[in-house]
Amino acid sequence: MPARNVKGNVQAQDKILYVANKLGLSSLKYMQATTRVIYDQSVTAATQHTLFEGAAARSFPLTNLGANGNQFQVDEALLVEKIAFFIPIDESGQNFQNGGQTSVKFDLIIGNKTVMKDVVIEQAGQQAFYNDGSTPSYVLDLEGVGILIPPQVEFKIQAKSLETRGRAAVSQRLGMYLFGTGVLLNFNTSI
Amino acid sequence: MPGQQTTRYIYDSVTAVAGQTNFNLFQTFAGKTDLQSNLTTNKLDSSESMVIKSLFISSNFSQFLTGHMNLNIIVGNQVVLKDFNPAFNASNRGVSFDRLHSGTNLPWLIEVRLLTDIVIPPQVNFKATLELAEGGTLAGENITLGLKGYGTIFSAGSTF
Repeated sequence: MPARNVKGNVQAQDKILYVANKLGLSSLKYMQATTRVIYDQSVTAATQHTLFEGAAARSFPLTNLGANGNQFQVDEALLVEKIAFFIPIDESGQNFQNGGQTSVKFDLIIGNKTVMKDVVIEQAGQQAFYNDGSTPSYVLDLEGVGILIPPQVEFKIQAKSLETRGRAAVSQRLGMYLFGTGVLLNFNTSI
Repeated sequence: MPGQQTTRYIYDSVTAVAGQTNFNLFQTFAGKTDLQSNLTTNKLDSSESMVIKSLFISSNFSQFLTGHMNLNIIVGNQVVLKDFNPAFNASNRGVSFDRLHSGTNLPWLIEVRLLTDIVIPPQVNFKATLELAEGGTLAGENITLGLKGYGTIFSAGSTF
């Protein structure tokens, strides 16, 4: 049994293969399945941030996307199942803390398509799905199976920080991660 | 001959030098005690295999394990876990990947339950590399990576 929850009758791998088939990615089904998290962070305080865009110019620990930046290489993909935000502690981006009393409103854009629009991760707004002891949750659990980021397509997040109870804009550093089932390139044949 | 099915946990520990940020795990075993690693080589025996379902990191680092990390696991010539950041599951900051395996308030222990099963076949080399963002490691401190899941171990069978 796979170490994951079945959501309805569709599993993550099913959705990856369905979308890949629709996009004509015939070889994706032969690749290595994995668990993947990608993150990016903006270490300069602001009220609005664009994350993942231009990530190729940043290196670890600011992001873990590497030289390909905000697009996956051939036959790599990520089915986004959870999205969270965090606050970099300083400009080095080496460590982070939770969002405190803030929430984040964001759009997720894949290619030229907005696939998540005006979504808010509220402080403690996901407790039905997630409870980290007494700590409020900053993790958004995507409904359904998730959203696939296909290979070779740019993606980015545009985000705004707000004070959860007062609903005022907040200037702060911001980082976000996308977590889910991934696909890694696997050469099954000689070249 | 079918092997005995079991739950398997393999681990390897590395002793750091001051300021070390890159660690190679499951690569060298010489001189390690049986509490530092329960393997003597970085491959399973011919009749053994396992499926990794969760990973565990512990350390006695004075800087803890809360900073960003890059964990790679390679089986054979295939990267099966790429640039993975377990730090989001470290400590109770409210950003853990799932509620059943969320972080504790112990910032030197991390467990991550994987979404997909990763197979380590018999007689195939595997290794892991871990990069830490923070460089406050002191000489003599230890970090351990554990891999847990289903396993098959050698079974002599019922007849001899």
